[in-house]
Amino acid sequence: MSKGYIRNRLLRSVISILIIMLIVFTLVYSLVPRNSIFSGDDGYRKLAAKPDDKTDYVYNIWQKLGYLTFVRSSDYFQTLYAVDSPEMAEALQPGSEAAEQFKAKYEADGYTVEAYTKSGRYYAYKDVPIIKHVAIWFANLIKIDTPWSVKDENNPDLKRGLSFGLTESGGVALIGSGTTHKYLLYTDSHFPWLHQNIIKLNFGDSYPTYQGLDVMTVLFQTQGTEVKRPVTYATGKEGESGIIFGTLTYKTILDRMDRQKFTDNYATFRTAKNQPSMIGTSFIIGVFSLLIAYGLGLPIGVLMARQKDKLADKLGMVYIIFIIAVPSLAYIYLFRYLATAAFDLPSVFTTYGASDIRSWILPTVSLALPSIAGLMLWTRRYVVDQMSQDYVKFAKAKGLNQREIFNGHIFKNAIIPIAQGIPASLAGCIAGAIITESIYAVGGMGKMLPDAIQQHNNVMVVALAFLFATISVLSVLAGDIILTKVDPRISLTEKAGRS
Amino acid sequence: MEENSVKYDSDLFEFASYDKDESEHIAAPKYSYWKSVWRTFVKDKFTVGVAILLLILILFALIQPSVSGYDPLIAPNINNSEMRFIKPCAEHIFGTDNVGNEVFDVVWAGAKNSIIISFVCTFITMVLGVVIGAVWGFSKKIDKWMLEVYNVVANVPFLLLAMILSYVLGAGMGTLIFVMCVTEWVFVAFFIRTQVMIIRDREYNLASKCLGTSNWTMIKNNILPYLISVIMTYVSRMVPSLISYEVFLSYMGLGLGVTKASLGRMISIYTSYMNGYPHLFWIPVTVLAILSISLYIVGQKLADAADPRTHM
Repeated sequence: MSKGYIRNRLLRSVISILIIMLIVFTLVYSLVPRNSIFSGDDGYRKLAAKPDDKTDYVYNIWQKLGYLTFVRSSDYFQTLYAVDSPEMAEALQPGSEAAEQFKAKYEADGYTVEAYTKSGRYYAYKDVPIIKHVAIWFANLIKIDTPWSVKDENNPDLKRGLSFGLTESGGVALIGSGTTHKYLLYTDSHFPWLHQNIIKLNFGDSYPTYQGLDVMTVLFQTQGTEVKRPVTYATGKEGESGIIFGTLTYKTILDRMDRQKFTDNYATFRTAKNQPSMIGTSFIIGVFSLLIAYGLGLPIGVLMARQKDKLADKLGMVYIIFIIAVPSLAYIYLFRYLATAAFDLPSVFTTYGASDIRSWILPTVSLALPSIAGLMLWTRRYVVDQMSQDYVKFAKAKGLNQREIFNGHIFKNAIIPIAQGIPASLAGCIAGAIITESIYAVGGMGKMLPDAIQQHNNVMVVALAFLFATISVLSVLAGDIILTKVDPRISLTEKAGRS
Repeated sequence: MEENSVKYDSDLFEFASYDKDESEHIAAPKYSYWKSVWRTFVKDKFTVGVAILLLILILFALIQPSVSGYDPLIAPNINNSEMRFIKPCAEHIFGTDNVGNEVFDVVWAGAKNSIIISFVCTFITMVLGVVIGAVWGFSKKIDKWMLEVYNVVANVPFLLLAMILSYVLGAGMGTLIFVMCVTEWVFVAFFIRTQVMIIRDREYNLASKCLGTSNWTMIKNNILPYLISVIMTYVSRMVPSLISYEVFLSYMGLGLGVTKASLGRMISIYTSYMNGYPHLFWIPVTVLAILSISLYIVGQKLADAADPRTHM
């Protein structure tokens, strides 16, 4: 397979992803009424008695989410007149000459100008077109941390530069000053031991759920209760905390507690908690269920093909038809009912939590049930198809026994189309399983997308759609590459091919 | 020479009339593809039995709800706690549910809607998918672009589309059918495309092309008949999977809404009573399983019977 083919295909994948994001933005930002995002927001509800503050709040949120650009007349006047000057006071009067000028200027620019209900001052807003919205989103997607990232007017003497040193927990680190993160590169005792904070994916801040956290933090931070351990801060102060020193970021306003612990402005941090992150949880369940599925599905499928139309084959078919015919919701409930009655296993994940292995068994096996059926069905189909091939007869004529023919020849050929699906199944683990996770109350990725849609968390919806689409498009490509590796006869670039 | 000659008596013979149409006729037993399919199908008595059971179930599901007049919005026994959770008995064949309705009526009303939804969706997506997939697989120029269309349609998160569409259009049967069809066709089309590509370059098609057969005739006469069995297999899996889909959507709160019964809604509501009142769980699941499995068996048998390779 040529490099040119992969490059072309990657390029077309990027175009596909762009179109997908355009559709997602249109769905989320223009089909859903924009007022509905406030339905789950407590901050909005508290402002019910203050109409002007409410208008400000609403338009600021919309501006932050990228719906529109918003200008208050008072902000505009601040660029013209000095604060507390008589001109300023005059301009702020509703109906003043300056106010009318503001209105005329912004209406000429295509803005809609309206007046606050109480103060009567003007404000202007203009919708951002979807294409521009998508462009801005992609432009901000990758964030690189440089010594000039922090812009803090209260700290003009902030040094800007990089140096090598040690973290508080004893790891080696590339330390930045003027960067958002204190430690750009650092080592510690946790997987994958070397961590970086230089290049980050930036999907924006989650709203209205998980307010104030950026999307990547929501998905990747550990959940549950803080795991405290004795720590020594940079100032020499000792205490009990779950602080992860590698996550220290710049904080503009330090309080007394911060000054007791840190010698510089890097005082915002995340803490270690006892439950794995959402992505981590889904991935653990997904990977183990895949192992179960391939470990059982492949051999059973081969067995069914070898015993075609005999008892083993028929029993296998009964299982496959059962899984096809009965909705997953029903058979997962049924499985849970039977398994909790037979073994000492908890019916929900939260009974014992992530630290107990018993919590993981039922969700993992439940998730494997349909995959086992699918793998059995297709393995059987492919093996049966291969069994009538000429090379099998030839191998038999050469005197190979059944086991050698199956293991050495048929299985290798039958596995080819199945190998293509492996990257896609692995990628699927990240997306999580909606029904399994909600039946067992697992805190994974499965419920994230439906929850985010229901709570009108547009930032989260867009980020998840992008993550899932990218992973899925790339995994199809990876599958095709694997296909050509396991079967060199297949060429993706062949012109007169049969697919 | 004279003794060898046979004397013909002209009285023994008469001239046959010459019929141009008759002379073209081949004196072989008449062959009809569909009749042959039918003969193969009815040979297996078990499958015929399953098909009859399926027909009875479908007819019953279509007729019973108009007799019982069940309406999910009217729960006449909702305040009568004695009518709730009655186990199946002579008076209440399938027992009663959490609001005192006859499970028997609810099941058939639900089955009716689920059958209608899955059949209509299957029909729409199959027609769209087969037509588009056949053209897609046949033309390499179209293939390059359709692959990107596939990439896009298949990767817009389905739940997002479903949730926002049912939000914008309002819950109901039309919306549900639209939501299910709007992405599903592309998977059928992709599947058919791959099948068409496999057959497209076979020798008999190359020969046919050399003889000047038009593309359309080739798709219609050379390729689609080969795909009937594949399509049948697909359909027999699609109907049950669409019902499962409907269960999933109902579970996510995106189904038909509260005004209409469906097997999906029943199963998603009744599963929570599985420990205390197992009949509430088992009855709709069993009805659904019988429907799905018999559809699957009949479909598989039809697919085998329709395979042109078994007709040689």
